[in-house]
Amino acid sequence: MQVSYFETARYRVPPAIPAEWPVPPGAYDPETGAEAYQGMVDRVQFVEELGFDWVSLSEHHYSPRILTPNIAVSGSYIAARSKRIKIAVLGPIVSQSNPVQVAEEMAMLDTLSNGRLVFGMLRGTTNEYLTFDLNPAEARERTTEGMELILKAWTEPQPFGWQGRHYQFRTVSVWPRPLQQPLPPTYSLGTSRESCEFAARHHIGLGVSFAPFEVVAKSTRYYREQCRHYGWEPAAEQMIYRANILLADTDEEAHELLEQQRRGAAPFPMRAGVREALLKLDQRNVAGEARSPNVGGVLPTSFYGGPDTVVAQIRRCRDEVGVGVLDLAFQNPGAPDTGRLMRSLELFAEKVLPRIREV
Amino acid sequence: MRVLQKGLIVTQAGDAFREGHVDADGFRIRYMEAGQGPPFVHLHGAGGLRLTRGHDLLSRQFRVIAFEMPGFGASPENDRSRDMPELAATMATATDALGLDQFNLMGTSFGGKTALWLALLQPDRVQALVLEAPAAIRPHGSRPPAGSPEEMARRLFAHPERLAPMPLPDPAVQARQARLTARLRGPDRDADLEGRLPGLVVPTLVLFGTVDRVIPAEMGRFYKELMPNCHLVFVYDAGHAISTDRPEAFVEVVADFIERREAFVISRTDTVIHP
Amino acid sequence: MKVSYFETARYRAPRQLPAQWPVPPAAYDRDAGTQSYHGMVERMQFVEKLGFDWISVSEHHYSPQRLTPNPVVSAAYLAGYAQNIKIAVLGPIVSQSNPVQVAEELAMLDNMLPGRLVVGMLRGITGEYLTYGLNPAEARERTSEAMELVLKAWTEPQPFGWQGRHFRFRTVAVWPRPRQQPHPPTYALGTSRESCEFAARHHLGLGVSYAPFGVIAKATRFYRDACAQCGWQPAPEHVIYRANILIGETDAEAEALLDEQRRARQAFPLRAQVRDALLELDIRNVAGEARTPNVGGVLPTNFVGSPDTIVEQIKCCREQSGVGVIDLMFQIPGSADLGFLMRSLELFGTKVLPRIRDV
Repeated sequence: MQVSYFETARYRVPPAIPAEWPVPPGAYDPETGAEAYQGMVDRVQFVEELGFDWVSLSEHHYSPRILTPNIAVSGSYIAARSKRIKIAVLGPIVSQSNPVQVAEEMAMLDTLSNGRLVFGMLRGTTNEYLTFDLNPAEARERTTEGMELILKAWTEPQPFGWQGRHYQFRTVSVWPRPLQQPLPPTYSLGTSRESCEFAARHHIGLGVSFAPFEVVAKSTRYYREQCRHYGWEPAAEQMIYRANILLADTDEEAHELLEQQRRGAAPFPMRAGVREALLKLDQRNVAGEARSPNVGGVLPTSFYGGPDTVVAQIRRCRDEVGVGVLDLAFQNPGAPDTGRLMRSLELFAEKVLPRIREV
Repeated sequence: MRVLQKGLIVTQAGDAFREGHVDADGFRIRYMEAGQGPPFVHLHGAGGLRLTRGHDLLSRQFRVIAFEMPGFGASPENDRSRDMPELAATMATATDALGLDQFNLMGTSFGGKTALWLALLQPDRVQALVLEAPAAIRPHGSRPPAGSPEEMARRLFAHPERLAPMPLPDPAVQARQARLTARLRGPDRDADLEGRLPGLVVPTLVLFGTVDRVIPAEMGRFYKELMPNCHLVFVYDAGHAISTDRPEAFVEVVADFIERREAFVISRTDTVIHP
Repeated sequence: MKVSYFETARYRAPRQLPAQWPVPPAAYDRDAGTQSYHGMVERMQFVEKLGFDWISVSEHHYSPQRLTPNPVVSAAYLAGYAQNIKIAVLGPIVSQSNPVQVAEELAMLDNMLPGRLVVGMLRGITGEYLTYGLNPAEARERTSEAMELVLKAWTEPQPFGWQGRHFRFRTVAVWPRPRQQPHPPTYALGTSRESCEFAARHHLGLGVSYAPFGVIAKATRFYRDACAQCGWQPAPEHVIYRANILIGETDAEAEALLDEQRRARQAFPLRAQVRDALLELDIRNVAGEARTPNVGGVLPTNFVGSPDTIVEQIKCCREQSGVGVIDLMFQIPGSADLGFLMRSLELFGTKVLPRIRDV
């Protein structure tokens, strides 16, 4: 089992900051902002020392909670300040980007990092529709076309034009190319049937996130079926499960912290009228079964407890879901500082990581 | 008023509007009306009622009722309204007289302050509030546009050189309007009004042109900060008279806001280039 | 006089490349690509020691000469290594980007490089119109609107919408904010009347490039007049001059190298019909006077000679045009290797730099 540490460049949010998304930028404090990025580097170097395989990043906008609106930029900075750890961008929101630009940036990042890039392509969480005015009804199609264009831009040896539905280019000729050949490890991120089918068709991996094991297991099962249909078998590392983890010294402590978290604020709270409108427009599915989207609300914690309990949960996850990579978002409920977070990481490296390597 | 667009002279703005009158608080109030659909009441700025291409475009989707407030235009001098809340109350009565129960409300500049007060006085009737370059919150030492027609044009419009010459305003009318607005415009920062804004839950859209030379676009943020359900939009390369400078850009977002209110932030644009 | 070193992430092709633009990505050599980015860091650390004030990066797409389609990504990498040198991103081609995204990326970078970011916003050279399908007729307007939107996105404390001619957003609320207030030192790049007027109106600096001193002086004079009309006076540092430099031990050596360079120069010409079509559509001016755009051709070398000669030329340049920052592109004649570049840098750093500080 490989383990990835999910880094958000967390900005230490003082309680007075308005909660509703988008948060007015006037509330931003430059010192705290600089600390967020310094903290990011510190934590990456720390987990690299501890033996984590990857550090992962995500793309989110207009929020103090995750200061990485452009993943290639933070990825690049991290690449300069780390040596061996893989840099997993999970992932650029393809539906609202220029896919050729994504291809160019990621090729740069793979080369700058000496071939440490892991690349995931994302449709986007529901609140992100509002960032660059993406029509929810078009999100699925734009993602699919965007992903195809990115892969084409990396693999087509000759300059080409692209007459898409949503994207049109007369000339595409990306320099540099990614360092890793033929592609960096690439994943389609999302539990939907479309995501699974795309991944199977293009021989890339699948990334699923946050939902309970039984739910994401549906996706990974469907993905493997589809791969067989296309004549190949995915390796375990070609499936990633991003999940929240709350690790403490004992089960009791973890349960207490979990309660605290449940009472805490949602990450991207939205004005009610907007949230309701989005819920109606955003259609999501897990391997074809409809599911309601999470519009900026609190996400479940899949792993919590003391080290023994968490190890057992990880084993069960591997059995039920079949993923070979866990991308862990270490929860830090209520605590304004990162001291407890660092201790969790240490505890994980010491008491969990060695026991799950061969899982 | 004739409007030049990219060198082409288009039809007179307001051609399709019909004149009407209502009585309210002892005033005989003139209005211009066109279009069908949800009612959309407009309160003009300090220069009086002037129909623009913006009104025409709005009348394609709404029943637009543009009032001429008492004391403006050819109406007799108004020395009875003592302050803005009173004027707002009179205009609320005028909407009653028209038989409107609930309506959408837009105020421009000086009329933006009137509209704010109307919404504060009768929030249950105002479905959505639009403030076009509102004059309710101003930098200290703010001066209303004045002077020769050229000076006025330069202050009001981003590209005065693109407009066809407008008929010279009647100096007597101008003087009357100036006296009235001087009395009613209130202080640059109105503590009473601003103190009430956090309680105004009516969905509100505030628009400023990026080249507004009467009230700087930076004033927009105060409304957004104070009001719980307020959205701020800048119209690029538009001056104080946004709906004259860039009527299509203006109407697109206003109409969307009237229809969907805060959900207007969700895109429904079709970006398919070819099927 | 401040001195900036223009780093191009110069790619040294191991084999002869096909002549025409766009060069097929099939010709890309991964090792050469990796070398070019390593070289970037090496050179930065070198010029930092030598005492250069800034290092600058630019945006170029589909190019086998400069591997920086997103200059913010390479700048973020450099930021991981930079100690005290300033990093100047000159500049994102705002006419063909998402301006909000540009604002976000640069704000991130400003936080990673506290106080040491300089930004220039560019309309784009003629050839770049072909990259993302930008209509040349729209370039000027798109640039102006994009620059305004970037500035607004950095400074407006409340979330806002934007009804532009070319850009439309319902919600903009950039996090993080730039660390430097109200924003990083920003320049409008270009000699045109529109650039000068925009810069004057928004209290920005002006960046000019490659033309002879007399031509540059026209633009800087116009710019200073425009600033005066807007009620302010720019300092010398408000004007950057990007120029080519060829330095030799003696004048004779430098001239000989210049000849060699002219003969061996590897440009990437556009197909003739495309070039001619672009020439017709691309309307450029210097402070209002029309000038022919340079479509993929060779640029003049503005500083040539021994260290003494170059010192004189720099003084002359300062007298004529009042620039306060020179951003130098060190030329390597055809047959020479990167060692030549390092020697040039050393020569400049030891024999020229100390003598032009108080110019």
